[in-house]
Amino acid sequence: MGDHGPGFEPDLDEASIVARAQDGDLAAFEHLVLTYQYRLFRLAYRMLNDHGEAEDMVQETLTTSWRGLPMLADVDAFGGWIYRLATNKCLDLLRKRSAHAVNCIQPEDMDTIPEACARAVPRGSDPAHEAEWSAEQDRLTAVLNTLPPAQRACWLLREMHGRSYAEIGVTLKISPTTVRGTLARARHQIAEGMSEWR
Amino acid sequence: MALEDIPRLGCGRSIDRIWATIDRPPTAHEEHCEQCQTARTRLQRLGEATRLLRQSDLHDPALKPRPGIKNAIMDVARAEVRRGSSILLRSADNGTTEISEQALSSLIRIAAAAIPGVHSRRCRIEIRSASLPGEDRPSGTTGTTTTARPRLIVNLWVAAAQGIIIPRTMEALRQKISNALPACVGISAGTVNITVEDLYDV
Repeated sequence: MGDHGPGFEPDLDEASIVARAQDGDLAAFEHLVLTYQYRLFRLAYRMLNDHGEAEDMVQETLTTSWRGLPMLADVDAFGGWIYRLATNKCLDLLRKRSAHAVNCIQPEDMDTIPEACARAVPRGSDPAHEAEWSAEQDRLTAVLNTLPPAQRACWLLREMHGRSYAEIGVTLKISPTTVRGTLARARHQIAEGMSEWR
Repeated sequence: MALEDIPRLGCGRSIDRIWATIDRPPTAHEEHCEQCQTARTRLQRLGEATRLLRQSDLHDPALKPRPGIKNAIMDVARAEVRRGSSILLRSADNGTTEISEQALSSLIRIAAAAIPGVHSRRCRIEIRSASLPGEDRPSGTTGTTTTARPRLIVNLWVAAAQGIIIPRTMEALRQKISNALPACVGISAGTVNITVEDLYDV
């Protein structure tokens, strides 16, 4: 029998896949890697603003998860757990970065930083409209990058990844009520920041 | 602390509350309050930009890791694979035949996949040698010793589909595993313990 295990049943529920991966089933683990690598990459990229570092983070997080899987008590908790690993690795890296060098993005520099601005234009709309929406996204990501890392993580986990207040609270070691307050402040700051761009 | 932390407008309305009701028509207060109107407009703009960013990030080919990343992760997993204990299937004069618990679990899961309404999860397998004295044989009985062979104790945890008849389905599963094992490894499953630990939606 090869290392890939049996052919994979396509309609398996995630908890069953996680349980099999805990047993050392490589096909099950590969399925989890395929499911989570893109989400974790998007989170890491918006946290770190660096393609290579985001890739390293995805690789490190998922490798760590393979080693830690047998210790995961609740198979339904995999999603929350992997997001927690990834978020905390990003925050650790940002702490190290700021300890090594002043690497903050100053508000006045934001509109000149191309990597902070992913331009994705909806197809089929008129060019002026497209440019406006693209600029709007650039403003959003630029202001987002001025937020403190933990607040940015909070906003990304909720607004880009739909994670629950309870889960975000566990990840950031704060109460769900504090998550709510942090999110409200983040939205307020981003909305204000974007309005100054007119 | 958090509740006081939520930013408030000069009129006393919290940003959180405006955000929560942003998709509804403005209240009587909001219609006449300039601060509320400004905040609503800005938050609506943020809401729309957030939605667009979520969409474009999801489909942006530049926001994906290289395929090499997945391969590197799987290389590590393969190198550190947990195979479980080794199970001795047969011992002959010229050597032994063993199978890893993990490989045997795979065979059991393949068999289980044929039963509709069952998702197999963890699997633990022990082997019980037939030569252990006194086991499974009432004292005083004789005659089975020479033909007795080792047998497997399979412990399988499964999730069952909502709405299936569990006892009947588990009996079919037990039968399937009991038939598959001798066919695959030449040792019969003495005991197949099945635990339904979860239900899944269909």
